[in-house]
Amino acid sequence: MRGIVLAIVFAILGTSPAPAADKVVVFAAASLTNAMQDIAAAYEKKSNVRIVNSFASSSVLARQIENGAPAEIFASADTQWMDYVAKRGLIDSASLTGPIGNALVLVAPESSPLGPRAIDAHLDWKKLLAGGRLALGDPDHVPAGIYAKEALAHLGAWDALAPHLAPAEDVRAALLYVDRGEAPLGIVYLTDAKQDAKVKIVGVFPQDTHSAIVYPFALVKGAGAAARAYFKFLTGKSALAVFARYGFTAHAH
Amino acid sequence: MLTEPEIQALLLSLRVSLVAVAAALPFALAASVWLARARFAGKALVEGAFTLPLVLPPVVIGYLLLLAFGTRGPLGAWLLAHLGIRFAFNWKGAALASAIVTFPFQVRAIRLALEAMDRGLSEAAETLGARALDRFVNLTLPLALPGILAGAITAFAASLGEFGAIITFVSNIPGETRTLPLAIYNALETPGGDLEAARLSALSIALALFGVALAAFAQRRAARSIGR
Amino acid sequence: MSAEISLYHQFSGFALDAQFRMEKGVTALFGPSGAGKTSVVNAIAGLLKPQKGRIVIGGRTLLDTDARVSVPAHARRIGYVFQDARLFPHMSVENNLRFGLRRAENPAGESEFAHIVELLGLGHLLARKPAKLSGGEKGRVALGRALLAAPRLLLLDEPLAALDAARKSEILPYLERLRDEARVPMLYVSHSLDEVTRLADSVVVMRDGRVAAKGPVFDLISDLEFAAASGVESYGAVLDASVASHRGDGLSVLSFAGGALVVGRVPKEPGARLRVRIRAEDVMLALEEPEAISANNVIPTKIAAIRQEAGHADVQLEAGAAKLVARITQASLVRLGLAPGARVFAIVKSVTVDRNTEDL
Repeated sequence: MRGIVLAIVFAILGTSPAPAADKVVVFAAASLTNAMQDIAAAYEKKSNVRIVNSFASSSVLARQIENGAPAEIFASADTQWMDYVAKRGLIDSASLTGPIGNALVLVAPESSPLGPRAIDAHLDWKKLLAGGRLALGDPDHVPAGIYAKEALAHLGAWDALAPHLAPAEDVRAALLYVDRGEAPLGIVYLTDAKQDAKVKIVGVFPQDTHSAIVYPFALVKGAGAAARAYFKFLTGKSALAVFARYGFTAHAH
Repeated sequence: MLTEPEIQALLLSLRVSLVAVAAALPFALAASVWLARARFAGKALVEGAFTLPLVLPPVVIGYLLLLAFGTRGPLGAWLLAHLGIRFAFNWKGAALASAIVTFPFQVRAIRLALEAMDRGLSEAAETLGARALDRFVNLTLPLALPGILAGAITAFAASLGEFGAIITFVSNIPGETRTLPLAIYNALETPGGDLEAARLSALSIALALFGVALAAFAQRRAARSIGR
Repeated sequence: MSAEISLYHQFSGFALDAQFRMEKGVTALFGPSGAGKTSVVNAIAGLLKPQKGRIVIGGRTLLDTDARVSVPAHARRIGYVFQDARLFPHMSVENNLRFGLRRAENPAGESEFAHIVELLGLGHLLARKPAKLSGGEKGRVALGRALLAAPRLLLLDEPLAALDAARKSEILPYLERLRDEARVPMLYVSHSLDEVTRLADSVVVMRDGRVAAKGPVFDLISDLEFAAASGVESYGAVLDASVASHRGDGLSVLSFAGGALVVGRVPKEPGARLRVRIRAEDVMLALEEPEAISANNVIPTKIAAIRQEAGHADVQLEAGAAKLVARITQASLVRLGLAPGARVFAIVKSVTVDRNTEDL
């Protein structure tokens, strides 16, 4: 969410000093924010193209694309929302690729007394929450929340936890709640947790508790040459290195 | 007719908005009196500050509320420790967000009403033995009533539609913070929730129309009471 | 109960500098617009704090800038009837009336409330809201409201100015009644000579922020200097009279300090007091007593003073202790060879008799 505000502020405030020849509009899931910004900056330095990133929950972005938003590249946080736009013939299916993945982690505020532990069926969630709420992306539509729900259900904890959730607008908002100490626990991506020094990881959800977290990338139908060039860069080696630095896993697709 | 979650969202919207307007009213009244009467350097800045919620993006307001009124925030911590009030993840936080976002509507309407009051009446009351507080309670307030009502109603209507500040500050919890706008948002974002979104929207419109009718009635009564 | 007023205040472009005393009854504050009358009244009420001044009413000091004494307006117990009535629009007439009553130190009883309501004819209006009142009714309610606060002094700032002639004549009798009941001294601001001569016991004339003349109304109105000071056309005379007898031919005889006056039948008992006004234009002069003449009133007088101006001459006459004024042309003045001290007959063509308040 903060990402959207920042993106808008950036868009209003400034562009590169030289008049940019081309502009590429990228819609990307909130959890990709920092990595995508770094990659965009690197690309802008070596080409005369301006990259405009718009970060939000994948559900919101998909709806916007459906309603004709001028995105040229879509980087979703899960396959559900990429399928959503693909089904509506909005993307260039040939370009579809899933270059990176992520892990789901349980986080707590840095000052929390909780230490690292295994996440399994024996975890006493009630005791850990101690009356507080579990922050996560809205499990109804935010990809990180959907994965979290899947994992909790797999662990048999969903029904008990459902009334004690704080469903946030996107995963970054969920992270913020934990960062501020408002929620004693939160479920976010590994990459989000690494970003925030005020938040510590107290557990990693085993891979078998949820479907693979894949980030499908695709060109939106009608994308221009500049967008195609950037897309190549975005899925290329140097970009992948940036993603890896932030904690994204490499994913062969 | 209405499903359980729909009734829940409706009642929550009503409760949050009513509490928001009622709680903000005394502050708006105080601010209006201050702005209408006092003269001091930097008054324009204060006026600007009171108008800020109209200008700031609601999401930013929500974020600032989290910083200030969250359980670890300076104001939130104090309120929790001294008055036991907690805003995080509950309807009170939603009410606080709504109150702040709609505060400028109340201030503006009340201030206009206060400034429109005939000074001559105050002088007459003074010669009849009424001191300042007496005049305020028995003359100023009753005559400002239509303005106060107008402000409250505008704020209530705006509050019913508040979204960004609430969802950012206290998230989207059914029964606690999921007011009608948040419920509509949730329905829209959930695949297959279009019908639900349409139902909730219709409900919102019906509520708005009812509110407008009620407002017109209340305003007429108030205007008549002061002899217009 | 007397009052001493002494005020000085420098406004931008205008200086107020007034001193006068008030005794029992109605004191008129008379003068053209902009003379400073409303400022004087506001200062007495406490709504204006003069730069220098002293206000003592009934022995109580309300203002003394030298001694740094200033009683706030709400504590002065001075009733103020405003030109624009200023009734509280959200309250009924009754609640308006009771407003000051409820806040008074020694609140008047219910009988007083009933008396004022009856005095001002407000009984049928009590439940109404001010918006539903006529101009005249509003004026009476404003009057009642100020009276019910049991004031030591009543200020009236041109209470009839905003009304048409019909409304004015509706309220004037009530004001006369108030004066006659002699409960509370009144300071009556007006730029209407007609109201002043009808209501006032004494007059303070203001011009350009200063007091230009002051004195009892009977003396001042017929004083030729008053005309010059107040900047109005000379009025004539105001006389204190009483009913002597009623004649069979539809006429009544009034007696006053200068003799008798014959007027149209007055529905009053012999002995009743009346105020009588005679305009200077309605008085002719003759060196010999005319006999076959239609005028019923021929009064022997002595010329006290003469003032000449642009084509006419105002002649002040003494009839016993009473004063009259006659306005004649300068040519006639010369033709008759009139001079102060001469004895002449004043032929009065028209007499205005103020209806007594009991006629209401």
